[in-house]
Amino acid sequence: MSITAINQQLLRAIGVGIAVVGSKDLQVLFQNGPFSDWFGKPDAAAALTDLLPDIDIEKLRAEIEDQGRFTGEVSVKMKRRTLVIALTVSPAEEQDFLVVECQNITRIRELESMIESYSSMVERNTRELEREKERVERLLLNLMPRSVYEEFKTFGVVTPQLYESVSVVMLDFVGFTKFSSEHDPTVTLGELNDIFTAFDRIAEQFGCERIKTIGDAYLAVAGMPEPSPDHMRAVANCAVRFIRYLERRNQSHQHKWLARVGLGTGPAVGSVVGIQKYVYDVFGSAVNLAARLQEFANPMCVVAPDAMKEFLVDEFHLEDLGKREIRSFGEMRLMRVNPGVELAHRARQF
Amino acid sequence: MPATLFEKYGGFGSVSRIVMTFYDKVLDSEDIGDFFDDVDMTRLIDHQTKFISYLLGGPISYSEERLRRTHATLDLNNEDFDEIARLLRETLVEHKFDPGDIKSVMREIEARRSAILSTGAP
Repeated sequence: MSITAINQQLLRAIGVGIAVVGSKDLQVLFQNGPFSDWFGKPDAAAALTDLLPDIDIEKLRAEIEDQGRFTGEVSVKMKRRTLVIALTVSPAEEQDFLVVECQNITRIRELESMIESYSSMVERNTRELEREKERVERLLLNLMPRSVYEEFKTFGVVTPQLYESVSVVMLDFVGFTKFSSEHDPTVTLGELNDIFTAFDRIAEQFGCERIKTIGDAYLAVAGMPEPSPDHMRAVANCAVRFIRYLERRNQSHQHKWLARVGLGTGPAVGSVVGIQKYVYDVFGSAVNLAARLQEFANPMCVVAPDAMKEFLVDEFHLEDLGKREIRSFGEMRLMRVNPGVELAHRARQF
Repeated sequence: MPATLFEKYGGFGSVSRIVMTFYDKVLDSEDIGDFFDDVDMTRLIDHQTKFISYLLGGPISYSEERLRRTHATLDLNNEDFDEIARLLRETLVEHKFDPGDIKSVMREIEARRSAILSTGAP
């Protein structure tokens, strides 16, 4: 067997498609099996342009001129499969031939699209997880203040923290039990939801944080978890606005609500309670005091301990209620907190 | 939470091989290959990757509505469906799935027969 014959045999046997064409007329001089499989067997005088009509011959010549070789891709429909064939055309050394090398890269393309498909799937999932995480975070932020949540997220636990001086506002509706027994629970809930949402806005505006609602009772604090020197004024401001909000709401709503409000001040501890069911809660005399004083209040009135007087006197209209015996606190001087002149004046404007 | 088949059989690494085998079988099938004569390769692969991942409990949800839309124009009949299901079963056997797992995958796909065969007409 001559060297030429061996070479030809070799070229026929490999999986790469090979053709040799004349460099001037692009006449096909030789082609191996894979090449014929993909591009067909040409008639005697066929040129490369007949077999590969999609190839831009001008470009091919220019690239060979510039870079010594031409690379490109062609698609071939074989049965129902679209094959993607990568072409390299380069001149044979010191010969008047061009060698056309073709590789079947269909599988690579198929795998590429699969990876693309999969990554779009995963990316979408990641986005959904991200959104889910945000939802959970928002939910947890409803259960506890942000600084407490940050601690919880970082350490997995929340250390109970004592705040020396905080103030508490506690509101309770008059005749709530009666109302809820006379109305559908969804009506009751709708009313509470509406009112408490408004209270939340007021609380936020005046630097208080709602800690919880217990049935119809609403409890918010100021001065924790972020300490604030203004905590007494903050709760008093909330308290009088809660009342004002209810008064105005009662003018236009079918159901009229009356509430008693108590203020308390003193130390309190804040912490997450429970392991499976997290609840951020506050404990301490400030909370107990607010709860007791609320019971002393007449409907639509705010009652506070006299100890808050010096902090509130500038902004609010205070009425002395005398000394009262408070369970587990002993005798204590109380006062009623009304909106100050300025607020009362503004309220009349609307 | 029990691991999904997707995880059990090695995640995307193995699922990609399953999809490839299935893709080849579908295209080479004498009975149903014709449906894919003019289907764009990228689209077909995208669909099969997502659908098989979904069947195996992978990280994707694939609504019946989407299945319905994908197949609505094809005018498939029960025999076509059976053939595709057979090819999928064959693929899973080749990839050494447990008989129990194959059964549950086949149940999943059977449950979607009506969606896949729907022509989109009400």
